[in-house]
Amino acid sequence: MMPRGWCIRTILWGACLGGAAPANAAGPAPDSRPAGQRLYGEHCLSCHQADGGGVPNMQPAIAGGTWVKGDARPLAMFVMSGGFDSASRKDSSVGNVMPPFRQLADADLAEILTYIRQKFGDGASPVTAAEVAEARRSLPASP
Amino acid sequence: MRIACLVRVASVALLPAFAGMAFGAQGSGNNDGLTLPDGFSAVVVQEGQGTGRHLTVAANGDIYLAGSNGLSALRDTNGDGKADVVTPFGDVKGTEVRIFKNWLYVSDDVGVYRYPLKKGELAPKGARETVVSEFPKERQHADKTFALDTKGTLYVNVGAPSNSCQQKDRQEGSLGQNPCPILEKYGGVWVFDGTKLNQTPANGRRFATGMRNAVAIEWNTAQNALFAVIHGRDSLDTLFPALYNAQDNATRQAEEFHQIVDGGNYGWPYTFFDTTLGKRVLAPEYGGDAKKEPEAGKYANPLVAFPAHWAPNDLLFYSGKNFPAKYQDGAFIAFHGSWNRAPEPQAGYKVVFQPMKDGKPNGAYEVFADGFAGEMKDNSPRNAQYRPVGLSVGPDGSLYVSDSQKGRVWRISHVKK
Repeated sequence: MMPRGWCIRTILWGACLGGAAPANAAGPAPDSRPAGQRLYGEHCLSCHQADGGGVPNMQPAIAGGTWVKGDARPLAMFVMSGGFDSASRKDSSVGNVMPPFRQLADADLAEILTYIRQKFGDGASPVTAAEVAEARRSLPASP
Repeated sequence: MRIACLVRVASVALLPAFAGMAFGAQGSGNNDGLTLPDGFSAVVVQEGQGTGRHLTVAANGDIYLAGSNGLSALRDTNGDGKADVVTPFGDVKGTEVRIFKNWLYVSDDVGVYRYPLKKGELAPKGARETVVSEFPKERQHADKTFALDTKGTLYVNVGAPSNSCQQKDRQEGSLGQNPCPILEKYGGVWVFDGTKLNQTPANGRRFATGMRNAVAIEWNTAQNALFAVIHGRDSLDTLFPALYNAQDNATRQAEEFHQIVDGGNYGWPYTFFDTTLGKRVLAPEYGGDAKKEPEAGKYANPLVAFPAHWAPNDLLFYSGKNFPAKYQDGAFIAFHGSWNRAPEPQAGYKVVFQPMKDGKPNGAYEVFADGFAGEMKDNSPRNAQYRPVGLSVGPDGSLYVSDSQKGRVWRISHVKK
């Protein structure tokens, strides 16, 4: 019997793999998803969901927004900084504040940003690790 | 309409007759796509307009529905179960709505209010009075759901504006604040005299603590006791990936069903009840290693540990006359459904029945009504067709269920005697 997680991932992502994932009855199948998709699954998906649509009243959608398909630099800076909680945001329609993801490596952030731009941002241009590194240099020092 | 006028004048007297007619004449056939136990039937009371939160049914059968768009009053004038009159009223946008004596108590994120219920008025025309106001405005777990006992004591759920009281909320690896300062004003139940007006939180008293967000809170009249089903924590895997994986996060932290006692502490944020281990463990923010237990006896174990992330949003103890004997004194729980189980399949989105005897669980819980969510494309809660959120019992003993996606309301009745 295949591990449950393997089956679910196959259902959710099988369409994106372009073919059947290798069956491996002895243990979990190797994760052959593209790096950006895998990293999105690890760090972003539980809040923003597989379709990038977010959760009403909880987390906003990535898909359909302007940030995801705008300039790479402010997008990278936002993801590294996270949302900010302040009195002025108490009227926001979403409950949760996004944590910062500056702990991720430039290359991994570039994979995630490229993935969300391709999938949720009308195919906006890829983001390189060098662009993420440049954006990182513009961030205020970590608190 | 003449019939409508007659019903308005004599709705209480005629209701049993209409109820009988309704049971024999359920029209929808497929129960609006809901799956129910044998012998039960569902009819759509309101097709759905805007959003819905909790609802309450008055002794004359009139229905009051809260919602993020405001309040509405619903009346079925011909006894077919469907609301023919829907009247928006008031200026309160929130979750809770309950009747105590001749008052309709409602709440939003910062207060509890009441409207007078008068004979002949479907939508209250009297001025809104403030019972408690000035709860701090928050964006997270802000709904002030409440329960009222038979004397008018008001128990308000003040949810914690936090996931686990980390130094930095929902941030990977951030440790917990100990003691958690949030518990001074949130994360518990505050008690007030619900018959007094113009109170602030300072007029209340913290009745119980250690409750992340007890949206489903209910006074059990037969037991003379308060009960709640509490939303458990999120994001074990993304916050502490070295200890928990996505499947752990999707399954381990219970939605806890407790009797809430004066002075009780139910363990948030320091602990959670792990459904896999069947015991309470320290949260990873507070030295937990996925196994370590808190000091024995410090926090109550739940009466029932429901699956993670199902989102219990309303609780009701059944004492109506319509349902078979096994349902008497048992608990119905509306599970709004998960978002934080992704990438695992979302779950919940159903009404569950927990048999109870003398205020204790009496056997395993069972799914009572399911099929609300539909296909739920892309495993996204946004695409759920309906999400059950509120429960009430009508004067004929039917169970009413409200939905948050479209504001639909169902009446579920036992039709096979």
